[in-house]
Amino acid sequence: MKTRALNYLRYAVLALGLMFFILPVASAIEFSLRSYGNKGHNLSNYQWIFQQDDFFTNLGISLKLAIVAALLTLITVVPAVTFLHLEGARYKRVFEFLAILPLVVPVVSLAIGAQKAMPTFIQNSQYELAFFYVVIAIPYTFQSLNVGLSSIPLKTLVEASRSLGASFTRTVLSVIIPAIRGSINSALFLAITLSFGEFTLTSLLHWETFPVWITRASQGNVLGSIALSMFSLIGAWVLLIGVQTAQNWKGIKLKKSAPEISKEEEVLV
Amino acid sequence: MLHIRSSYQLGQISNMSQQVQATARKGGGFALIMKGLPLAPFSAIFLFFFCWPIFQIFRNSLSEGKGHYGLSAYRLMFTKPYMHAFSVSLQLSFFSALSAGIIGAIVAFYVYRASSGLRSGIAMLSGVLANSGGVPLAFMFIAAFGAQGGIVTMLKKLGFDIYAHGFTLYSLTGLILVYSFFQIPLMLLVFTPALQGLRNEWHEASNSLGAGNFQFIRWVLIPVLFPAFLASTLLLFASAFSAFATARALTGGSVGLVPLVIGSLIDGNITTNQANLGDALAVGMVVVSAVVMGFYGFSLKWARR
Repeated sequence: MKTRALNYLRYAVLALGLMFFILPVASAIEFSLRSYGNKGHNLSNYQWIFQQDDFFTNLGISLKLAIVAALLTLITVVPAVTFLHLEGARYKRVFEFLAILPLVVPVVSLAIGAQKAMPTFIQNSQYELAFFYVVIAIPYTFQSLNVGLSSIPLKTLVEASRSLGASFTRTVLSVIIPAIRGSINSALFLAITLSFGEFTLTSLLHWETFPVWITRASQGNVLGSIALSMFSLIGAWVLLIGVQTAQNWKGIKLKKSAPEISKEEEVLV
Repeated sequence: MLHIRSSYQLGQISNMSQQVQATARKGGGFALIMKGLPLAPFSAIFLFFFCWPIFQIFRNSLSEGKGHYGLSAYRLMFTKPYMHAFSVSLQLSFFSALSAGIIGAIVAFYVYRASSGLRSGIAMLSGVLANSGGVPLAFMFIAAFGAQGGIVTMLKKLGFDIYAHGFTLYSLTGLILVYSFFQIPLMLLVFTPALQGLRNEWHEASNSLGAGNFQFIRWVLIPVLFPAFLASTLLLFASAFSAFATARALTGGSVGLVPLVIGSLIDGNITTNQANLGDALAVGMVVVSAVVMGFYGFSLKWARR
């Protein structure tokens, strides 16, 4: 009897919790479907989004910067973590500590430093943002790779490959990269999502990307800005859930015995 | 398969590693690997795009121009308006972390033993929601809880006008409400693993010793979970303290948080005769955040004991 009562209580708490998240979303969707002059509900605010020339321009800029940040993560964070697992065990603690630091320094503080410390030729290029995105994402990308790599016997694999006479290039291409591909994918995905949503540093350095543009666009059209916000929020949710489901599905297919921990838990715990 | 090795196999592996080291000494790609070259790109980006700007804010905050150094920026920082900003920021972080922490912990407690499908669904949703801060979230809440918002008009029809009772979204209370939208899921993510360490036997043991449910919660559950709760809440505190985008979009500066003041200084919306005030405030934020994260580290160690 007692467990059944607990079960009901559990679903009640869960339902109440879900309400807290669903109600604002539903209410904002309703708001975004309103039209000016109380002409009932329609899709006019969503049509307005696609009539903005800047919509595609800024979406493009954000995508470009996110991809550059992911590539930079691939050539900086990935080799570093891989090395720490293969040969650099004695530096591991130091680098783990360093990798947490960008979480300790608020982005606003980094922004004011960036504005004064960067040479002009860097400040004149939009690509400076990608480098900063990489740094801001380091606590997450580094930790995600670190946890991922701890779960495979990478060192043994590399030693085996070497003792069988494989060259350096061949070991990297056909042993290391295939073994850590899953971890690389999640780290790059984290880098892309964080870069795509970054607002603080971007706006304080006076660049325009998609999130910054949303704020500017909102100044002229309240209903349009709500529609735009819901569009980008729900778009991001669908994308994130899609990728996670795909990962879980792949995990089930490969029958991995790894414990069920989501990426975020690994990062934050 | 590879985890269970006999001592014979271990010996073999260490032989292999000697072979590898021998090849490394001969040169080739592995020699470079051994020398730590793969750490170079990471270190370069980290030094130039992180350490260098941070060093600069420390230096600028102490600079008084023309090569002189002193504390005048900090003297200005410790005057009333800026101390007030720190106080508002700390209040916001404290109350949002505490409320989201308590609610998140209770929800986590009720769902952690649910079926694995439900649990992984909740974990996935939490992961998604915990990352949805920023400007769009602020606009979503304006649409829901603003003066014309759907939830507000709905409550009004039910005879309860929250704006007539002093609520406004563009205030500290409003910010706490908005922050809880990503902080409760964050709490679920970071606190649930701690619950997995609970044992059913403890409840049985305390029952057999004659303790009631309340006593079990008071003397077993709370002491056991407190370090993990503290660690998770400190993480929420730090995330609220440095949050910028949501607060900026929601209040437009009417709630004077430190990050917003720094933002206005950068944009030139506030001017002072003290050019390096922004740097001093930025250093102040780093110090507060470092203290919070330091406590976080300690409580994490405490929780793991």
